[in-house]
Amino acid sequence: MLSIKNVHKSFGNNEILKGVDLSIDKGDVVVILGPSGSGKTTLLRCLNFLEKADQGHATFGEIDVNLHDAKKKDIHAIRQKIAFVFQNYNLFNNKTALENVIEGLIIGRKVPKNEAIEIGKKALSKVGLTDKYDAYPSQLSGGQQQRVGIARAVALNPDIILFDEPTSALDPELVGEVLAVMKNIANEGTTMLVVTHEMSFAKDVANRVIFMDGGVVVEEGNPHEIFVKPKEERTKKFLKRVLPEDYSFFI
Amino acid sequence: MSEGLNYKFLIDTFFIALSGVPVALLVTIVSLLIAIPLAFLLALTRIYRIPFIQRLAQVYVSFVRGTPIIIQIFIVYSSVPLILTALLKKYDIAMDVYKIHPIWYAFIVFSFSTTAILIEVFRSALSTVNKGQLEAAHSVGLTTYQAYQRIIIPQALVVALPNICTATVNLIKATSLGYAMSLQEITLKAKVAANVGYNYVEAYIDIFIVYLILCSVVEYGFKLYEKHLHKYKLADA
Repeated sequence: MLSIKNVHKSFGNNEILKGVDLSIDKGDVVVILGPSGSGKTTLLRCLNFLEKADQGHATFGEIDVNLHDAKKKDIHAIRQKIAFVFQNYNLFNNKTALENVIEGLIIGRKVPKNEAIEIGKKALSKVGLTDKYDAYPSQLSGGQQQRVGIARAVALNPDIILFDEPTSALDPELVGEVLAVMKNIANEGTTMLVVTHEMSFAKDVANRVIFMDGGVVVEEGNPHEIFVKPKEERTKKFLKRVLPEDYSFFI
Repeated sequence: MSEGLNYKFLIDTFFIALSGVPVALLVTIVSLLIAIPLAFLLALTRIYRIPFIQRLAQVYVSFVRGTPIIIQIFIVYSSVPLILTALLKKYDIAMDVYKIHPIWYAFIVFSFSTTAILIEVFRSALSTVNKGQLEAAHSVGLTTYQAYQRIIIPQALVVALPNICTATVNLIKATSLGYAMSLQEITLKAKVAANVGYNYVEAYIDIFIVYLILCSVVEYGFKLYEKHLHKYKLADA
C-alpha cells in the first residue's frame, strides 16, 4: 500500500536520513524504534511532506511521487490519504475539540457540515471524550488533547495514520490512556506507523518493528524477532539500555 | 477674557470641534484599510524571509519609525505637488495640483506611517503562533491559505489586537497634525474658531475633550472585540 525507497534528508551538514526503505501493507501496525537523533521523526515528517526530503521515492496506492520535488497536487492527494498525530498534539488552539476534529473534513475534504459533525462525534467517542465536544484545547489535559489529536486523525478515515512519539510529551500517568486508545484503533484494523519509546506498545500491538539508528534501518522483523532474538549488535545494545533486565518476562 | 472661561464659546466650539470628527475618522479608516493588508503582506515577507522585499520592509520600518510624523507630513505635503507638477507637465495634462484636497495627502502620510507600525505588530503576533499549527492544518488537508485564514490569523489576531488598538488610537491622535496641511479636522476647526476672539484655552479644552471621547470609544470597542475573540483562552486563567 505504501512504500518508500532511498529517502535521504540532511539539515545543513547533518545527514539525518541516509537512504531509508520501508514498505507497509494495509492493516499493518509498524513501530519504529531507535535512539534519539536516529531519524525516526524526520522520516515520518518526510512522508507527509512536513519536511522536504533531499532524495527519495514514494508510492502511495496508485500515486507515485518523488519526495524531493513532488507537485502541489500530488502532495495534496497524498495528505488526503495520510493522517498525522503530533508529539505535542498541535490541536488548533482557537477551535473546540469537535471543531478540531471536523476542520479537516469540512475544509480539507469538503464533507457536508452535518455529516462531518456526526463523524467527528463518533471519532471523539471512540477516544472516550463524548463529554468534551465543546472544550477548547486549553481546557483539556495533555492526555485528553492527544486523544483529540487521535480522533482528528481517525475522523479523516485515512489509509494510514502516522504517530510521531504520541506519548513523549505526556505526564507518565497520562500515557496509559493514550496508548489504550491507540491499541483500540489498531485492533480495528487501522494501518499505523508509530514512532514511540513505549516498548510495551511495540511488543503488544505492533506486527512489525523497525529499528533505526544513524539514519538507516538497522533491523526489522516481528516483535518476537526484534525483542527476543535481535540479530544486529546495535539492536541488542539499544534494547539492553531501554528495557529492564528481565524483559523477556513481558512477552 | 478676564472673567475666566467663556462658557458659551466653550460649548459652541465643542460642537465645531465635533464636526471635525468625520474627517478624522475618515483619515483613520482609510489609512487602516490601506495599511492593514499591506502591513500583513510585508510582515509575511519578513517571516518567510523573502530575500529582497523583507530587507526593503525593514528599511522602510526604520525610516518611518525614525522620523516624526510632522516631518513626514511636511515632506509629503511639499514634495508631492512638485513631483506631480513635473509629471503632469511631462504628460501634458492640465490640472492644478494645488487644488488637490489635503485629505489625499493625509491618506498618503498616515497610511505610510501606520503600515510601518503594523508590520512589526503583525510580525510579532504571527511569530507567537506555533509552527505546529500550520503543520497540523497541512496534515488534515488544509492549504496554506486556508490554514492562515482559519487557524493562524484568528490566533495571531488575539495577540495583535491590543497593539492594533494602540496603533489606531495613536493614528486618531496623529490626525490632529493634519492642521499642518490645512485639513479641516478637529484641531484646525477649533483653532480657527478660537482665532476670532482669542479664546484659545476654551478651544484647546474642547479639542482635548473631543479626542478623549473619540479615543475612549474606540478603545472600548477594541476591548469588547478582544473579549469576544478571547473566549478560547478563558480557561487558562
